[in-house]
Amino acid sequence: MYACGQAYRYSMQVAVSLTDSRRSLRVDPARERAALLVCDDPQEWDLFSRRCESSHPGSPETWESQLTVRGMHCAACSLTIEQSLLGIRGVTAAHVSAASGRASVTWCPADTRPSQWMAVPLALGYELLPASDAFSREAERQEARLMLWRWLVAGFCMMQVMMYAAPGYFSAPGDITPDIEKLLRWASWLLSLPVVLFSCRPFFVNALRDLRHRSISMDLPVALGIAVTFAVSTAATFEPKGWWGHEVYFDSLTMFVFFLLSGRWLEQRLRTRTAGSLDLLARRLPDSVERLSAAGQFERVAARRLRLGDVIRVLPGEAFPADGTIVAGNTFVDEAILTGESTALPRAEGAEVMAGSYNLSVAVQVRIFRLGSATLYSQIVALMARAAVEKPRLAMLADRVARPFLWFVLLASVAAAVFWWSTDPARALMAAVAVLIVTCPCALSLATPAAMLASAGLLARNGVLVRRMQAMEALADIDTVIFDKTGTLTQAGMGLRGTQTRSGVTAHDALQLAASLARYSLHPLSLALVEAAGESTTEPALMSVQEHAGQGLECRAPPGAQRGGRLRLGSAIFCGLEGWPGQGSQVYLSDDDGWLARFEFAETPRQGAAQAISTLQARGIEVYLLSGDQPDAVLSMGRQLGIHHLQGGCTPAMKLASMQALQQQGRKVLMVGDGLNDGPVLAGAHASIAVGLAVPLAQAQADFVIPGGQLAMLPAILAHAGSTMRVVRQNLCWAAAYNAVCVPMAVGGLLPAWLAGLGMALSSLLVVGNATRLAKFKNPGV
Amino acid sequence: MDILFLLIPVSVLLGLGVLGVLAWAVWSGQFEELESEGTRILANDPAEPPLPRGDREA
Repeated sequence: MYACGQAYRYSMQVAVSLTDSRRSLRVDPARERAALLVCDDPQEWDLFSRRCESSHPGSPETWESQLTVRGMHCAACSLTIEQSLLGIRGVTAAHVSAASGRASVTWCPADTRPSQWMAVPLALGYELLPASDAFSREAERQEARLMLWRWLVAGFCMMQVMMYAAPGYFSAPGDITPDIEKLLRWASWLLSLPVVLFSCRPFFVNALRDLRHRSISMDLPVALGIAVTFAVSTAATFEPKGWWGHEVYFDSLTMFVFFLLSGRWLEQRLRTRTAGSLDLLARRLPDSVERLSAAGQFERVAARRLRLGDVIRVLPGEAFPADGTIVAGNTFVDEAILTGESTALPRAEGAEVMAGSYNLSVAVQVRIFRLGSATLYSQIVALMARAAVEKPRLAMLADRVARPFLWFVLLASVAAAVFWWSTDPARALMAAVAVLIVTCPCALSLATPAAMLASAGLLARNGVLVRRMQAMEALADIDTVIFDKTGTLTQAGMGLRGTQTRSGVTAHDALQLAASLARYSLHPLSLALVEAAGESTTEPALMSVQEHAGQGLECRAPPGAQRGGRLRLGSAIFCGLEGWPGQGSQVYLSDDDGWLARFEFAETPRQGAAQAISTLQARGIEVYLLSGDQPDAVLSMGRQLGIHHLQGGCTPAMKLASMQALQQQGRKVLMVGDGLNDGPVLAGAHASIAVGLAVPLAQAQADFVIPGGQLAMLPAILAHAGSTMRVVRQNLCWAAAYNAVCVPMAVGGLLPAWLAGLGMALSSLLVVGNATRLAKFKNPGV
Repeated sequence: MDILFLLIPVSVLLGLGVLGVLAWAVWSGQFEELESEGTRILANDPAEPPLPRGDREA
């Protein structure tokens, strides 16, 4: 495994050094593909992929890989990559996000291998690198350096060229002798060369790639503008008598290149900062850990060499690399990113710690019991990664608009050139260039993803996981909230308060029998039953237990009963009994002879539930409570929390029907549940939030998950979704207005090229900057 | 003003020289981790460097 990693790292280094610095040389494509072959080793897949939960048994195994994409600059590129990937046999899904520079690809090992589908975008000029390994970090750093270097070259040369151009602006005609003027122009030309040949390289490379693939992107108009300006100025420098006139535009040229690069560079920085919280999350695990060796010494090993059962030492300030049990030491941990719990939690010897949480106070020794993709942490990371590449509806609209828009720009610039040609050929060229430079479809296509990404990152920092980005749109105009009761409004852990049994059955036996059934379920009441029963050795093993969602559990042919016997645990209706009046939740146990036992539970509302509900109601949002529990229990809970619309004794189908009735009245419904027995309702609502971790994260049906169960955050999340959509609309309006004003101005010859470059850079920055405003999110009462 | 015929080429060469210095700075990582460098003075050195002679005598 380790050797594999070394080979992988080495050959990826080869691949990158080939593509990074030696692009001008002819690279042997076969060698590049050979470097990708290392990704085909199934042992390496875990580094950047996760196996998908198959939807139905018998379907072929699929993997979902996360990758970073290089060479991508706008929405049109992401479409091209997606289309190229989807054309490959064995690739079932591909999402590429222009905003985060990430891609996720779902593929079938039976039909294809990573090297095969990675090679296809590579042939188009886009490089896919496995994400979330140390190596892609290095590649990103090299790319950042190259970008900074291009920007510095452009900036410094711009200053110098401006010095040579300044005398021409400030002197009276005839002050400068023709000899000196010629010398100044040559000097300008010489210093513009690095800008055009080196700093502008990405524009040219991308434009050429687009032409070759008969597609079009942002870089084509820009590259055309640069090339035309430079050609005209060069011609005027060395042959001032030609039809192109004697004016040179080296100062304008270097200036707009500098502005464009500044825009891109800042945009990239802002983008990495907004995507940063996702990356921060994904890169939280340490690369190396101190492991107790057989000799009783601690030695530092790579985190990926850990095995189940290893004992490791985690120092204060370090993150836990895996789930484990503390075997020595008492400490405090910070689990904020996993559960949203922001206070430091004490963890004594014997307590469990989670991968991704931080050790705060004392060095502890931990025995590992869960590793890699089994940990909650990696489930969260995978969820977030998937949400980040998902495209909201508005973004898809912008993508579709981008391409025709670019064609329009090219035509407009030709029109401007033709229009001015008869009066002044030199001016015609500059007007055409200004049109090419000033338009900014980037702002258009960045408008939505930038805001969504900022939002998702922020919510993640506050302990809310976004599973489906589109839901943000629906969440913004919710006017009705439906709560589930058990496990949602109430705390997951409930205490058994009382037991009544049929004569001849002891409370202990009844409890053991009920617990043996309850073990097959994750319902909060089942968990409470199992907990109350404690560890038991006398418990009979049951066969063929079936769970009826929201109603109860059934076991056919329990041991010791006559053939065909049936044991049921659940609500009174499910057990075929008359319910007893009483406070709190009740669970009944019945067999063929009818009633066997009744368990009463005391439940307490979650912290902050009452506050959240009153805040929602104060905002004019209707709050409903639908529960499968006894009407009495629902009524008392509703009274306690101030909810007026109550319905108890609901089956999941009834819940769904009530919700659909509300939807037919034109209401926008948010369903808040625990994701356990209300899956269909969660899926049917306009937006849904799962509270707590009743089910494994990967199986939760909801759009958002609050693993820590802080209901108090609910109003803030709704408000935040509202401000996200407001920012999205502002961005789209701005981008549309900017283009609507600037393109006609440029066609009219009113914009000099440098101003066009500045305008375009600023408009992109404004869009991304506006999105970062979303980072101010108040987190109440947690 | 004949001196300009010398000074302008010299300015171009100087400019290229500055670009060279910038290139070194970028590729040796001088612009990275700007925040953390400041705190390095607080960290304990693994091996104490020898004091300059003047200090040792004092």
